[in-house]
Amino acid sequence: MSYSRFEAMKLLGARLADELVILSLGGAVDEWYNAAPHMRDASLFQQQLGCVTPQAFGLAAGLPHRRIVSLDTDGGLLFNLGILATLGNERPENLFIVVWDNEQYQSIGGPRTHTKGGRVDLAAIARGAGVEHAYTAETLEEFDAHCTAGLATKAPYIVVAKTDGILEPGIKRKHSDGREDKYIFVRHVEKTEAITIMGPSEHN
Amino acid sequence: MKAEAVEAVIRGLKRAGVSIATYLPDSLLKELYPALDADPDIRTIPVTNEGEGAAIAGGVFLSGKRAVLVMENSGLRAATEHLARMGLGAGIPVVMIMSYRGEMGENNWWAIPHGITMEPLLQTLRTPYTIVRDVDEVEQAVVNAYETAYASYYHAAVVLGGDLVR
Repeated sequence: MSYSRFEAMKLLGARLADELVILSLGGAVDEWYNAAPHMRDASLFQQQLGCVTPQAFGLAAGLPHRRIVSLDTDGGLLFNLGILATLGNERPENLFIVVWDNEQYQSIGGPRTHTKGGRVDLAAIARGAGVEHAYTAETLEEFDAHCTAGLATKAPYIVVAKTDGILEPGIKRKHSDGREDKYIFVRHVEKTEAITIMGPSEHN
Repeated sequence: MKAEAVEAVIRGLKRAGVSIATYLPDSLLKELYPALDADPDIRTIPVTNEGEGAAIAGGVFLSGKRAVLVMENSGLRAATEHLARMGLGAGIPVVMIMSYRGEMGENNWWAIPHGITMEPLLQTLRTPYTIVRDVDEVEQAVVNAYETAYASYYHAAVVLGGDLVR
């Protein structure tokens, strides 16, 4: 019943305009770069296992009027499950979290994660941590419906997308590194929020 | 922790424009956490481990707000992975205030590793830090950490030791 992550990304991307996105490492980086080209400047492409959803929550706490989207992964979330308990307590109203769960560490060739085999249920863990809106999307149609709901709900909302682990072939690779990506993202936030984050020094 | 030191930390945070504090509480700074919780100008976010707190603070930086991560110095070990990725990989700064467990005079065997590992880890992470033991230097040390972090776009730390925390 699994489905293409790239197709799911295109459905999500079509729903985004003013949102800010933080995403994880691996194949999802190049896929998101191509699935939602209009969101490139509004997306922080990082290679930070375990940092993605906490960073997105920090961004959501700093910009409570703006919808933040975390594109995490099974490996990334398993690295720091504690963030689910923090979200359960803090209850940000503007944070939508997608967990791309392909049951493998895809970027290093596909060794299995703990979700492989069907015993570990990330959505159930999230609900147990106090995030009531935590669901598993087994089909593309279910995923799309959760995007609609998750982007409108005033509570933390998690959808675990059970994707097939097949990388979209023939897509353009992103060339920038984490430092350049940060500057692109920060300048986009500055422009769209009319604020200064990285301003001039005291003297030139 | 002395009441005067708690007040000086909070004065420093306010002068630096900090509005969000993430923390994992410890015993040496135990009076600081409820004071932060009670401050109307600072939102506190308790976390499950210091790496998570560092990543949340990094996210706050990206929003244009200012954050601090408060913890025991043992938390530096838990946060090293996150600090390395954000700081060395992307230039996303995290300002930390930590207690000096394991300082000379420590009488708990379990705290000895905290003292042994703190400074080498800060140096490995290329993180500038100030060890403060005089209450009159606390406020400015906190302000200075933010000046450095926002000029270098890299981490900075203030370590509270000596009689300040005992």
